[in-house]
Amino acid sequence: MNRRRQIKQFVLQNFLFSDNEGAIGDQDPLIRGGIVDSTGIHELVLFLEESYQILVSPEEMTPATFESIQSVDEFVTRKLVV
Amino acid sequence: MNSLASRVASIASAASSRTAIDDGERQVSYGEFMAEAQGVADMLRPHGLQRGDRVAIVLPNRIEAAVVCYGIWLAGGVAVPLNAQARTRDFVPWVEHCGARFMVHERAHRDAELTIAELSTAALSIALEDGQPICSPAHSSGGTWRDTDLTAQAKDLALILYTSGTTGAPKGVMLSHANLLANAESVVAYLGLGPNDSVLSVLPFYYAYGASVLHTHLICGARIHLAKDLIFPNLIVEAIAAHRVTGFSGVSSTFALLLDHVELDNYDLSSLRYLTQAGGPMTPTLTRRLRTALPCPQLFVMYGQTEATSRLTWLPPERLDEKLGSVGIPVNGVDLKIVREDGSTTATGETGDVWVSGANVMMGYWNNVEATRAALQDGWLRTGDMGHLDADGYLFLAGRRNDMIKTGGHRVHPNDIEEVIAELPGVIEAAVVGVDDEVMGQVIKAFVVVETPTERGGERIKAHCRARLPPYKIPKHIEFVATLPRTASGKVRRAQLPAKQAMA
Repeated sequence: MNRRRQIKQFVLQNFLFSDNEGAIGDQDPLIRGGIVDSTGIHELVLFLEESYQILVSPEEMTPATFESIQSVDEFVTRKLVV
Repeated sequence: MNSLASRVASIASAASSRTAIDDGERQVSYGEFMAEAQGVADMLRPHGLQRGDRVAIVLPNRIEAAVVCYGIWLAGGVAVPLNAQARTRDFVPWVEHCGARFMVHERAHRDAELTIAELSTAALSIALEDGQPICSPAHSSGGTWRDTDLTAQAKDLALILYTSGTTGAPKGVMLSHANLLANAESVVAYLGLGPNDSVLSVLPFYYAYGASVLHTHLICGARIHLAKDLIFPNLIVEAIAAHRVTGFSGVSSTFALLLDHVELDNYDLSSLRYLTQAGGPMTPTLTRRLRTALPCPQLFVMYGQTEATSRLTWLPPERLDEKLGSVGIPVNGVDLKIVREDGSTTATGETGDVWVSGANVMMGYWNNVEATRAALQDGWLRTGDMGHLDADGYLFLAGRRNDMIKTGGHRVHPNDIEEVIAELPGVIEAAVVGVDDEVMGQVIKAFVVVETPTERGGERIKAHCRARLPPYKIPKHIEFVATLPRTASGKVRRAQLPAKQAMA
């Protein structure tokens, strides 16, 4: 499974409680859409850190990073390149 | 007459250009604030708004959420701010119960739009655009407001705040202009607020605590910086430092999130003069952590109720260590007593029901005589909270008589969730309780009885709740049980459920 799909699966299972991949699009808003809340964001960060061996710094905790599944995936890509 | 609106108008007259609210992208001065409020009044009246008419407000914290409220008051109306996170199944009964003929919301708010379509009596939709004021300056009567519109009487109804969900008769707390001003003045007195203060506001205005933060600062000519939410606690702390705010108000989970996720030492927070905490108990451990991390600002631990406008007691910061675990002494103008079941006053240290009286106590529940009669008796408000007073008159709370859950500052009635879970085919019944959580205070746990256990049944229930309830009402934990504990008369004993969980 590619990474974007893994992130999507995590969001589906932990925030939408669904297996239906059509329930959310890669560019749908995670925060404005009320999918990820103040505790959910830290569950998502923990998942990213553990799954991809990255460390998310406080400066990277911004709305732009967590706008959508796509932006989260692109953020992980940038982290892995560095 | 003296009201919140007349007090803010006085500031606008004396210091028109002073900033009232700053949302990070837009600012509104006190003069503009009152002129825009007048614009709202002038927009509502031609649509038939009469004195005492209710106007529902479904807005997140943005400048207009405050402007619209004051505009409704200038027009002689009653503001009904509704939880902007609620869903259609909540909005429809609330709006129908209060008979609101107007509903102000953001254009993209799907549940608000669905609500208007579902109402049995038509309500006029006033849809706001992102980042835009509610009315153009042309509507603002020459960019000023009219003193002739500051005619609300002290005893007139100003605000209805719904405190419970939709099960049974909704409970809309009725607050008069006098209630609002009395409580705001009490808070201003003990916090020592003045025009040089500024606060970062993360608490929604549709809750009593957030409304109190808004009004107390506005009547002092202070500056209010709006922060959207707590999803990025680091941005909250950055804003405190960048704007050099003097105050910050939160519920227990607000402070837990900041302490857990932000290196506070990395920021210059020396501008902070006061922190306030209310909206459910804060554990002594968290209080100590907060004091250690931020030793300079004074920490005001407080207790209150929507039924008492907002604030009932405060703990003077200099006695915080000595009285750790207490919620303090009554605010100015509030009398408080602890009574036994027979109505007699308890002895020092003896736990009983907390009763209060004062100019901040509500007029009653809108269109709900039975609930009003149960809560207000002989001039006293029965808070539903239990507690005792120590020898110095400091209040220590010991839980609630009813099953209300407090999660991250939200007040949730278990019935609202139980009803939704029971709608699922295969579910026989459900009981919902709050279980302790280090960050959120409490989180929601559902005990569910099903006909036949199914694979991933818990996720199916969560998904069902997600489609019908706001995110904070979705159970965090679900446990399937064979039966629910009941009283002899057949009522579910929710109080026994957390104990059951502890054994599991």
